Amino acid sequence: MKSLRIPPKWQSLVRKGVYSREFGIFLTLIALSTFFYFTSRRHSFVSVINIQTILKIGSELGIVTVGVAMLMICGEFDLSVGSMLGFSALVMSSLYSKSGLSLPLALFITLCVGAFMGAVNGLVTVKFGIPSFITTLGTMMWWRGMVYVFSAGFPTIFRPEETSPLFKSIFVGNVEGVPCQFVWFTIFTIILAVMLNYHKFGNHVFATGGNKEAARAMGINTDLTKVICFVVVGVLCAFAGVVQSTRARGAYALQGSGIEMETIASTVIGGTSLFGGVGTILGAFLGVLVLEVISSGLITSGVSGYWFRCVIGVTVIGIVIANIMIERRRRS
Amino acid sequence: MSAVENRFATGDMEMEKQPLVEMKNIHKYFGKIRAVNGVNFKIGQAEIVGLIGDNGAGKSTLIKILSGYHRADEGEIFVEGEKVEINSPKDARKLRIETVYQDRALVDQMSVTRNIFMGREIVKNWGFLDRNKMNEESSSILDGMGLSIKSTDADVKFLSGGEKQGVAIARIMYFKAKLVILDEPTMALSIKEVQRVLEFVRALKKEGISVVFITHNLYHVYPIADRFCVMTRGKVVKDVKKENTSLDELVEAVISG
Repeated sequence: MKSLRIPPKWQSLVRKGVYSREFGIFLTLIALSTFFYFTSRRHSFVSVINIQTILKIGSELGIVTVGVAMLMICGEFDLSVGSMLGFSALVMSSLYSKSGLSLPLALFITLCVGAFMGAVNGLVTVKFGIPSFITTLGTMMWWRGMVYVFSAGFPTIFRPEETSPLFKSIFVGNVEGVPCQFVWFTIFTIILAVMLNYHKFGNHVFATGGNKEAARAMGINTDLTKVICFVVVGVLCAFAGVVQSTRARGAYALQGSGIEMETIASTVIGGTSLFGGVGTILGAFLGVLVLEVISSGLITSGVSGYWFRCVIGVTVIGIVIANIMIERRRRS
Repeated sequence: MSAVENRFATGDMEMEKQPLVEMKNIHKYFGKIRAVNGVNFKIGQAEIVGLIGDNGAGKSTLIKILSGYHRADEGEIFVEGEKVEINSPKDARKLRIETVYQDRALVDQMSVTRNIFMGREIVKNWGFLDRNKMNEESSSILDGMGLSIKSTDADVKFLSGGEKQGVAIARIMYFKAKLVILDEPTMALSIKEVQRVLEFVRALKKEGISVVFITHNLYHVYPIADRFCVMTRGKVVKDVKKENTSLDELVEAVISG
């Protein structure tokens, strides 16, 4: 059959794609969606509005997660993402609603605050040589504490649409029915994936996370590489905080709390190693969707939302075991 | 001191050519321990030097001074007759002295190509990797060494220990080192694999690159080295060309010190 002849280059690409980890996660995603299609009441899981909701909520988590994936490939953790997100949301809301700054300026300052928080995480970790688990555990408490110090626990209203409807539609509007949050999530995924795979910085990230001593011996500035990854995470947290506050019309004291574990769960589902040097951004992207599909699927199927964490817990362990078994088979 | 004076000053008539690297009267103390105690060490052009000694004899310390990881407390280093200061691994690399450490040469989870160009990537505009060029270059350099690896896109973790050493050595060859320091390159390798690594070392010499081969296994280095330095307790107790010694004599020197 002539029509089935595929050029060899494409054949190897297709084969690579099918055997890749991401394809496995993709299949999981399809399987889960099919399952929830049948279990949800009146098939509401696949309704347009439900899918839009999944993409809206999931993208806020996802924007942070792709950054965390790069950081974990570089061999470090960030437990402070939820607090950084919450503090950035407060900064943005306060600068706009209380200090009366213009939206672009407030946004710029908020992103800088995010970069600063990330830089603190990075510099403390590399300069004092302590595990980032500890550094970011500390900053997690510090920035959450700062939220309470500045807000006394009260919500801060944020309604950018009052002066600029454009601002709102850029962050939480939609393009042909696709939520803007998801567009941003996709953009960040592509940027980080390209940097990681096609830019020399990505090579340094993999080398630093895979074998720091080897990377250093070859002249890579591993400390700088790590700090940059932390800064990227900080900026993405600030961005996600702005998006979330725009959607939720305010900054809240507990905003973002709990996402640190969800980001790690998503990256692990996506095939990123906890030991550094292994992982992909696309995997993290799909991992976030798996998490959100489970969350939404349980709700639309009439299962109490309280089950969400239990199911995610089992899923993370199950997928890691599956990954290990696949890896073993591939080796032998 | 000019190169000529230098040669006569050391009174070394055996060395016809100027040595590539010369370390003079090197001392290194760690607290009260004299790790290196007044060592003179020379490496000729395209010469393979076997640096032998038991664990803790000071060979690693001596070599780390040369590769910039330690600073000597006393002593001088000359490269091609010129006095140099080596304060960091970067300085050593600038002088084209490269070191291959067994456990920190390669990143297992990265492809062969990415490992070869680690930290010295071939880039197009804006720092984006020129992947085709890097793949071509790494294939050709590995072929040149007689190292047949199925795909340079494969992760290093799928290679054998000997092949890993080969990749690390290929990398050094590509970046035109003058002197390559191999730190226990045959440790934990099978007999067959050791033979392969020795082939790689011969390939380096053929390219005119000098090699310091550090080992405590005399039998690995004996077939390929041109000269042997035996260290014990921070001192060089024997420095002899291959034609003037025998395996038995060297074994005796290592054991008795």
